[in-house]
Amino acid sequence: MTRALGRMAAWRLAFTAPLLLVVTLGMFVLAKASPFDPVRQYLGDRALTTSPEIARQIRANWGLDRPLAEQYLTWLGNLLRGDLGESRSMHRPVAEVIGERLGWTLLAAGCAMVVMLAASLVLGSLAAWRRDSWADRLISGTAYANEAAPVFWTALIVIWIFAVRLRWLPPGGLTDAASGTVEPADVLRHMILPVAVLAFSQSSWLVLFVRESLITTLREDFVIGARARGLRERTVVVRHALRSALLPFITLLGARVPELVTGAILVETVFSWPGVASASVQAALAADFPLLAALTLLATLAVVAGNLLADTAYVIADPRVRVLGVS
Amino acid sequence: MATGVAGGLTRSRRRFPRGAAVTLVLLLLAVVLVPLFARLDQQLVDLHAASLPPSLTHPFGTDEVGRDVLLRAVYGLRVSVLVGLAAAVVSVTIGTLAGLAAGAAGGTLDRLIMRIVDGFNSVPHLLFGIFIVALFTPSTTAVVVSVALTHWMTAARIVRSEVLTLRARPFVDAAISGGSRRLRIVRRHFLPHLIPHIMLAAVLMIPHAIWHETALSFLGLGLPAHLASLGNMINDGARSLLAGNWWASLFPGLFIFLPTLAISALAQYWRDRSNPRWRSELQL
Amino acid sequence: MKPPPRLRVEGLSVRFHLPGATVQAVTDAHFEVRPGQCLALVGESGCGKSVMAHALMGLLPGNASIEGAAWLESGDTPPVNLIAAPEKVLARTVRGRRIGLVPQSPATHLTPVRTARAQLTEALRELGNPDRADTLAERAGLSPSDLDRYPHQLSGGMAQRVVNAIALAGDPWLIIADEPTSGLDRPLVEATMTELRRLADDGRAVLLITHDLRAAQQVADHVAVMYASRILSLEPAADFFTGPRHPYAAGLLDALPSRRFAAIPGQPPELTDLPEGCAFRPRCARATDDCGRLPLPPLGDNRVACHHPLESHVAR
Repeated sequence: MTRALGRMAAWRLAFTAPLLLVVTLGMFVLAKASPFDPVRQYLGDRALTTSPEIARQIRANWGLDRPLAEQYLTWLGNLLRGDLGESRSMHRPVAEVIGERLGWTLLAAGCAMVVMLAASLVLGSLAAWRRDSWADRLISGTAYANEAAPVFWTALIVIWIFAVRLRWLPPGGLTDAASGTVEPADVLRHMILPVAVLAFSQSSWLVLFVRESLITTLREDFVIGARARGLRERTVVVRHALRSALLPFITLLGARVPELVTGAILVETVFSWPGVASASVQAALAADFPLLAALTLLATLAVVAGNLLADTAYVIADPRVRVLGVS
Repeated sequence: MATGVAGGLTRSRRRFPRGAAVTLVLLLLAVVLVPLFARLDQQLVDLHAASLPPSLTHPFGTDEVGRDVLLRAVYGLRVSVLVGLAAAVVSVTIGTLAGLAAGAAGGTLDRLIMRIVDGFNSVPHLLFGIFIVALFTPSTTAVVVSVALTHWMTAARIVRSEVLTLRARPFVDAAISGGSRRLRIVRRHFLPHLIPHIMLAAVLMIPHAIWHETALSFLGLGLPAHLASLGNMINDGARSLLAGNWWASLFPGLFIFLPTLAISALAQYWRDRSNPRWRSELQL
Repeated sequence: MKPPPRLRVEGLSVRFHLPGATVQAVTDAHFEVRPGQCLALVGESGCGKSVMAHALMGLLPGNASIEGAAWLESGDTPPVNLIAAPEKVLARTVRGRRIGLVPQSPATHLTPVRTARAQLTEALRELGNPDRADTLAERAGLSPSDLDRYPHQLSGGMAQRVVNAIALAGDPWLIIADEPTSGLDRPLVEATMTELRRLADDGRAVLLITHDLRAAQQVADHVAVMYASRILSLEPAADFFTGPRHPYAAGLLDALPSRRFAAIPGQPPELTDLPEGCAFRPRCARATDDCGRLPLPPLGDNRVACHHPLESHVAR
């Protein structure tokens, strides 16, 4: 099996390189088509008072008069060496900004995924097992409604209820405005709402998927066979039906990284959570392209990694795929 | 008399979601008729009437600068729908061209275009959309371009697969042996078959386009602030949320939530009707 | 003195409700199965016999309605009506413990994502059998390494053996074998039948559902013939295979390659569209007007549901 996995991983990585090339090229082309002049941006207010001599010098230093292909390759080279440029809005190296903020995003998104998985599995299974009961209708109905509700709207409603009316939880931020240090307990308190909202918004598809998949699987021959053997209903549902029903979802989960990124952007913005997702919005508002480009690439890498992990997990989980080989 | 264990055929039948249809029709009427008949200016700023809770004169209350939320929400829905429509059209056009080229030409061009599709699909839509809008400064055009560049892939896939199916049909060989040039074949023979699929893709694209535009506007990267986009309104409303103004962000959101829910209910009903899931497990 | 265990089916009828049609799968079935004996329920495909196994184990889908009774008398406990018993009773006391099911296609009856060993061990544990999986496997003719495979990696014969082992894990006294030989080649069919006969000889009751008359002949003590949802005759196997009393049964035997190899003209009726009276009438050489109009005589003492049965070869 490890050989098959190794082969698959190598195959995928081979595909990834041209993919990333396409993405970086696309971003570069778009950036060049943009009306923004990076030199003007860099100079900011000083642009009006700076002499054209100096502006030309800066332009030459940055290689902006060189042919496009060369510029692209230089940029790509820098990227691969780890030089991500400097953030024009925060006046610090992009790598530093990302390093500071990535942890917070991973914390919130990671917790949200765990919560989302646990809750969706339980609720989806319950809805499938007790099909058409009030529990099923409530769970399915909420899932459908949630898909139609924009996550930032849901977030505002949640803030209104829990932070403004009930005053149980803070409305946003990483820590209390007054505190100077970052205390774990404080962070935890501030994390509850964003994680809950992100988990809830991402869970609809999974709840409905688990429900649908389990309902279909419960009709399969082997489930009847398991029942016929005299196994307890709980064993039949969890150890036979659910195990089989959940196989496809592992791949789907990895393929949902784009939606997770989107959700993170909106949730971090609403809750002023200092992660990389909210940084992308700030970068966009400030037309800070080095930072924005780096974050876009980071997200793309996450998507590709997610797909690879999902396929790997599928091969490990489904014994039939191992025998048939790797797609 | 006993009945069998759960897990077999159910007798539930899908009923036509009347509530959803009625909601959509009402909203559509409001969007079309209100601008024609309303005497109130949705842009009218009246600081004396700022942040008034819902009442009979202002069923949805007023926002922080005194504008009536209900009226603005209707206009906002109209703007969102129009922008969504335009974006869907552009998106589907690009997608159709790409799909046609890939499907009809085949070979290297096909592979290249598919790689590009994969590439675009690898970047999260909203983030990519933000990237594009930032490059060209937020404006209506930028939003339309943003939607188009993040959603053309779906249409491309649909068109390409249809073209591949069509290529395999005998009438294509007949046309080629009759001496028609490729382009002519595409125009005369493929397009008529493709039109319904393209239309469907465009219609299905509209909710996505609206969602994308709304999200961008909420982030402050979408339509200009003076345009009553629902996203803008929620963004504005959010600022006074902590001060107690819940209506300025709730009701515009409702105008996104209700039509989306209604459309998905109708789509679900249609899907269930055309794909009967009455699978029989009987082995007699 | 404990009454001997037996399965007593009385007036069992099963209907399936589909959109636009009702399928009459079983009509008014009466039969008994006792330990030490094998009853073969034979019939062509589409006659409704395969529904019988699931009906007796309470595994019918949600759109089925069932009438009648199936009394499982296990001697030391009060009789259980398999049709009316609640799911909990069936799951906890009947399935696997009193009735063991040998299913039609063993490969699809096993969960594909778990090894044979895992499933056998689980059955042993839940049914309270202290034996180890390897022991049972060896008894069934499987090696321990076979058990570690997944169902799709097992050959037809091996899967059948695994399924047999699991069926016996709870030591049930009644075995229902639902078409256990479909898809198997002749040697395997005979081996399976030998195994079933051994189970009956060991003191268990065996209900064999099959369309394979040759296989049934190898193992049955009694033969019940089913046609278009009804049991048309129930006779001792010896009588049946020498001179069956129902014209349809006689036709079935005649159709065997080893005998006249002559097919019965016509087709069985659709189960959604059963006629009044005898359903075999259109294909029967002995049919009269009575056969179409009057209700069929019940099985009763005559053991034949026919207005014009063939002569019995056994002196009465």
